[in-house]
Amino acid sequence: MLRVEDIFVSYGPIKALENININVNAGETVALIGANGAGKTTLLKAIMGIQKVSAGKIIFLGEEITNVGTDKIANRGLGLIPEGHLVFSTMTVLENLQLGSYNNPNCFNDNLESVFESFPILHKRINQIAGTLSGGEQQMLSIARSLMAKPKLIIVDEPSLGLAPKVIGEIFNILRGLNKKGYTILLAEQKAKKALEFVDRAYVMEIGKIVLHGPAQELISNPKVHNAYLGSKI
Amino acid sequence: MEVFIAQLLNGLSLGSMYVLLVLGFNLMLLVAKIIQFAYPHLVVLSMYVCWGMLKYTSNVFLVILASIGSCIAINIATEPIFRLLAKRHGLDINVSFVVSMSMTLVITDIMSHLLNYGFPIAFPSKWIGKSVIGFGLITFSSGQAYALFGGIAAVLAFFYLLYRTRQGRVLRAISENSLLSSIIGIPTIKTRVISYAIAGLLGGLTAIMLSKMLGSASPALGDFVGMKIIATSIVAGLGNLKGGLVCGLLLGITESMAIGYLPGSWSNAISFMMMLIVMLIKPEGLFGIKA
Ligand SMILES: Nc1ncnc2c1ncn2[C@@H]1O[C@H](COP(=O)(O)OP(=O)(O)OP(=O)(O)O)[C@@H](O)[C@H]1O
Ligand SMILES: [Mg+2]
Repeated sequence: MLRVEDIFVSYGPIKALENININVNAGETVALIGANGAGKTTLLKAIMGIQKVSAGKIIFLGEEITNVGTDKIANRGLGLIPEGHLVFSTMTVLENLQLGSYNNPNCFNDNLESVFESFPILHKRINQIAGTLSGGEQQMLSIARSLMAKPKLIIVDEPSLGLAPKVIGEIFNILRGLNKKGYTILLAEQKAKKALEFVDRAYVMEIGKIVLHGPAQELISNPKVHNAYLGSKI
Repeated sequence: MEVFIAQLLNGLSLGSMYVLLVLGFNLMLLVAKIIQFAYPHLVVLSMYVCWGMLKYTSNVFLVILASIGSCIAINIATEPIFRLLAKRHGLDINVSFVVSMSMTLVITDIMSHLLNYGFPIAFPSKWIGKSVIGFGLITFSSGQAYALFGGIAAVLAFFYLLYRTRQGRVLRAISENSLLSSIIGIPTIKTRVISYAIAGLLGGLTAIMLSKMLGSASPALGDFVGMKIIATSIVAGLGNLKGGLVCGLLLGITESMAIGYLPGSWSNAISFMMMLIVMLIKPEGLFGIKA
């Protein structure tokens, strides 16, 4: 479904990504794990056309999307849920969801119904200004907003950022439910244990490179991963 | 009392012109992230278009169409310039400020060299219309009535568009977070161009109403109005539309009252003194910065 081939990205003279190859198949859940500054967000930005790719190719559903405009990439069915539960904070929950369905306003009512099924809390807060929601609620709104566009691939950047453990659990349950409904999910996450428990496969990133990849079960039992990312918590 | 009512009406009609320009100016600031200092100059240029058209045709519809159309077209034509600058400098408001300043010089030069030999233009009295009410020296002309009712209608339509329609929601989304907007599939460049078009429409309407209200225009009018528009926007709080609405009306009323009750023409000095005081007390503007 998504194939990233040998891409390079740099911020001015600083090389941020080198020779990255990943692929995501339809129906899968895939994680990018790695410490702060490993380049996870940069890779997601490159896929979304937010960060310029200096070499390599990105192919989505058989078409090349390398360095195509972000709005065009979104309209092809890539739904990025950015880091830091970003919402349109001066607008209501409903307006945020309406904006989410920018490209298929005709299915708005159906989509809204199914989104409220997954997020009953948002239904209750439909007319609340999004900036006044709690962090967890904003993260849910951010996910719900992207679902309004019926994306073919959901890309979630660090959904656990700044949230309490209980809320993180809820968010992962929601993502699990979405995958059961047929959504393909690419997840970037620092909390390696959480991520590996959730996904089918994962890529491990270290300072701009992919150092390991494989099925999540294999990575969990890999001593290198265990020491570096799972620590004593297992 | 009659003087007060007449000046209040005058003030409201003048104020609604300021409001329209402040709204158009702020819309471009919010959505396109530019300071378009030349916006009032473009409006004066459309007054010239209106004047020129009146010489050739008595078809009111055609005159209005040409004035509004030219304002929209020229305003949109500046968009690629600002986009090019944004490519080189990022969305830098200061850069747009400097560039739009030089646009004001060019437009003023065009008006003072190429149009009517640089002399002020006067609109035909048929266009301006008769006075509706008069109290001695103070009158309320039909031009002012157009400005008042047209202004109110345009302001209401603008706020309706922005807060009650899908396009308005998209404009507000870009103004709040343009990156997030593009992530959810909103075409940012197209939406920015739409903001130029809407500002051009507001400007064109203002040009028509100003021509009826003032009855004349000159190359210097752009600078004169421009100063007030930018000052009012800052006093209201940059990017604050509701603040712009209140402050634009206040400016119009203050000026009219000063004209009605004070000897000599001190109205400008008084409004700028008031602005100075506001800025000393509330540097972020009366209603707060939103850009
Ligand atoms: N706009 C930028 N300009 C320059 N360097 C940047 C920029 N954005 C990111 N970087 C650098 O690129 C590297 C990768 O950053 P990135 O945000 O992709 O990491 P990350 O894996 O998402 O980290 P985190 O888990 O903290 O979100 C970091 O060294 C960072 O400092
Ligand atoms: Mg990150």
